[in-house]
Amino acid sequence: MVKRLSDMPEVEARHLARIECPTYDDTPLLAGKPLSARRVAIISTAGLHRRGDRPFQPGDGSYRVIPAETPAGDLVMSHISVNFDRTGFQQDLNVAFPIDRLRELAAEGVVGSMASVHYSFMGAFPPAAAEPHAQHLAGLLKNDKVDAALLVPV
Amino acid sequence: MGALGHFLEREGIPTVGISLVREHTETIRPPRALWVTFELGRPFGIPDDGPFQRRVLEAALALFAHTDGPLIADYPEHIDEEADLTGWACPINLAPTQTGSLTAEIDRLAVWYDRAVSTRARTTVGVSGLDMPTAGRLIDAALAGPLPEAQPLKQAIDDLKAFYLEAASAFPDPGSARTRKAWLWSETALATALLALQPRLAASADPGHRILGNLTLIPATERHRLTVAL
Repeated sequence: MVKRLSDMPEVEARHLARIECPTYDDTPLLAGKPLSARRVAIISTAGLHRRGDRPFQPGDGSYRVIPAETPAGDLVMSHISVNFDRTGFQQDLNVAFPIDRLRELAAEGVVGSMASVHYSFMGAFPPAAAEPHAQHLAGLLKNDKVDAALLVPV
Repeated sequence: MGALGHFLEREGIPTVGISLVREHTETIRPPRALWVTFELGRPFGIPDDGPFQRRVLEAALALFAHTDGPLIADYPEHIDEEADLTGWACPINLAPTQTGSLTAEIDRLAVWYDRAVSTRARTTVGVSGLDMPTAGRLIDAALAGPLPEAQPLKQAIDDLKAFYLEAASAFPDPGSARTRKAWLWSETALATALLALQPRLAASADPGHRILGNLTLIPATERHRLTVAL
C-alpha cells in the first residue's frame, strides 16, 4: 500500500496540497556517534504542552518545554488544526509522542540516553516565525548534551 | 516539520524526522526522514501497541547513521483502515432532555467521560481551564449574543471535542475511532451548535473569529455538513 496524496480521500488531499511548504537550496547532514552513544530528544510539532502552560495560537512559532518526567496525564494538545486525528493521542500518548518507547531503548542501551527535556512546537507555524526559536532551542539541546533530535509531526 | 530539520541541523544538532505527507517532505528536503503511511495524528501508527511503535522508532533512529542526503526512507509496514462497522449506532441515548440543550448533553456524557478517565488514568481535556458545563455555556452564549474572543472560544470547543470523544470511548460498545468521530459530527448537539456558529464566525470583522470559522472549527472532511446546517 502506498499512500500518496493521490491515494487519499479528495477533501483531505486537497487540504494538504494547499499547505505551502518552504524550500531550501541545500540540506546539511551532520555526522555523529553510533546510536548507542547518542543522547536523543523528541521535538514534537503536535502542539503539546503541560496542562496550564500557554496554549498555542495561530501563527505561533514558539515551543513549549516538556521535562522527561512529565506524567502522561499532564500533557494536553492545543494544536489549532482540526485536520488530523486526536483519538490516537487520547488513547495513548506514545502514538504521537513516543517517550515511553524512547525510555525503553535508552534502558536497553540501544540509544545512549534520553534527553532530560523534550519540546513541542505547533506544526502550523510559518517557518520564519519558528526559525529564531529553533536557533535558541539548538543551544538548549547542546547544553543538555543532545546530539540526536527526533522530529515528530502529527 | 521539515523546516525544523534544516534549522536544527544548521545549528549543529543532527535530526531525523517522521514524514506523514511524502509530497511535503519531497519539497522541503529535510536531512533525514522516515515516511510512514499512517493516519495524520498517529505518526507511530497504533495506540497501545508498544512493539509496533518501537519498530517505527528504531527505523527512524537508524537513519542517524546516514550523512548522504537529503534522505527519505519508506517505512515498510502499513496499517489497514479500521473496519467500517456499518450499522453502529451510539448505544447511549443522548437525546437531550430539553430540545437543543447542549448543557443537558454534556451532563449526560459526564458519567462516560469519568469512566474513560478512570480506565485510562489520564485525560487530554484541560487546555481551556474551564469545566465542561462552563465551556458549553460559552458556546450557547456565542450563539445567542456577541461572539466571545476567538482564542478562549477555540480552547473551550477543543476541550469539548476531546471530552465527547473520550466519553464515547467508554460506551459499552465503543465502535471504532472513526465511528465515534462520525457520531460526534452527525448526532450531537455540540456539532449542531458548531455548525450554526461557523457562519457567524466567518462573517465577523475580527480576524481571529474568521480564522476559527474558516479554518480551525470544522474539519475539512466535515465541512460538507455546513450547507446542510445553513
